[in-house]
Amino acid sequence: MALPVSLHASTTPQELEFIAGYDMIEIMPSVRTDRIRVLSGTYGPLDALRTTKVPVWMALHLKARKKCRIVSPAWLSVDYLQDRLAEETSDKAFSLLPFRYAEIAKLLLDSAAEDIESADKIRLILKDIHEARQAKSREGLHQINDVNLRVRNICALELNDIRPSFVKSMDILIKLSPQAQQSHEEEDTFRDWSMGDDSYPVAADSTMETEW
Amino acid sequence: MDTDYYSIDSILAENHKIPCKFEIDVQGLGYIDGGNEKDIKAGTKMLLPYWLAPTLSLQDWVDVEIPQPFSAKVRRALAADARSVKLSNLVGGTGTWYGFGKMMADLLREPQSSEISTTLINAFKLRLIDLMDQASHFGGAASSIGSSGETGEGGGEFREGLDATERELFTLAQGSVQRTKEWYETSSKLRSV
Repeated sequence: MALPVSLHASTTPQELEFIAGYDMIEIMPSVRTDRIRVLSGTYGPLDALRTTKVPVWMALHLKARKKCRIVSPAWLSVDYLQDRLAEETSDKAFSLLPFRYAEIAKLLLDSAAEDIESADKIRLILKDIHEARQAKSREGLHQINDVNLRVRNICALELNDIRPSFVKSMDILIKLSPQAQQSHEEEDTFRDWSMGDDSYPVAADSTMETEW
Repeated sequence: MDTDYYSIDSILAENHKIPCKFEIDVQGLGYIDGGNEKDIKAGTKMLLPYWLAPTLSLQDWVDVEIPQPFSAKVRRALAADARSVKLSNLVGGTGTWYGFGKMMADLLREPQSSEISTTLINAFKLRLIDLMDQASHFGGAASSIGSSGETGEGGGEFREGLDATERELFTLAQGSVQRTKEWYETSSKLRSV
């Protein structure tokens, strides 16, 4: 079965959400179990008195069965996000946010809203942050050239958004460049590429899941 | 645009016609440009497709000129305001102005070659800005009806003037904006098991 054309360009946001499910999060279980062994690793044992770190997907499944309470991550609070929003709107660069903040925030807000303080307010702030960053990533496309593009602190969703058009535009620019410079620049294209990528989540200075 | 023999983009781009002047008499091929003559006389000007040109001009059988889409007039218009030039008028709605230009730059000799390259690159970068703005507008505005009202006029004309390469970019960008928006608006709540 051939891949549908809409999937040729890049990963879908739903796929990114799935990948984000593997980040770790703290929960407060309300049951007691032995260690849970699944393909991705061994977690637990779950104990009603202690918080434990499990993957987000597991946390949400437990929550759906009312077996735990999710501890909201440090960055998912009104104050932190409002500071970030202020930075986004005043600064031309991207502010520091966890690489998969958008997906994890959506997962938590949709399935575990009662465990997060002021969930509605957070939703609104996140929407503003999301729009501000999207506008910035569009702006970044204006500086495109045929060699490289440095972007700090960009996050998974924005990256996915601009990836198809960015790759294609750079492709066109490389082809249009005068012949003499072409072979020289093709070598540099690989070495200077410093934008983060989904499979190598090491965008310059972006925080990874272990930090919060 | 590629040097790849099988590249569909370059096959299509090579179909564009360039003005050529025959230096010699050619017998029996008078039908090529639809005329009634039996032979082609030296000095006849004709529009030939790009893929014929290198072979013929290398042998000095024809003399190749810069085609109309890259004439000085067009280049001046692009230097003045790249965004208002309608590339689709120059090469047709499914034509590839950039691909054609790249092939011309390869074919011609130095000063003209890099002039054309620079024109292409500058035009592309300038038009890309508007292209992206419009694409994100149309991607995000998919579900709201009245918002395309104000940019409708100027935006519509710009979009009509895009060439095939730019249209492809537009669709890519618009698609990805639409997908993100749809995902954002649907709930990821786990349905009860």
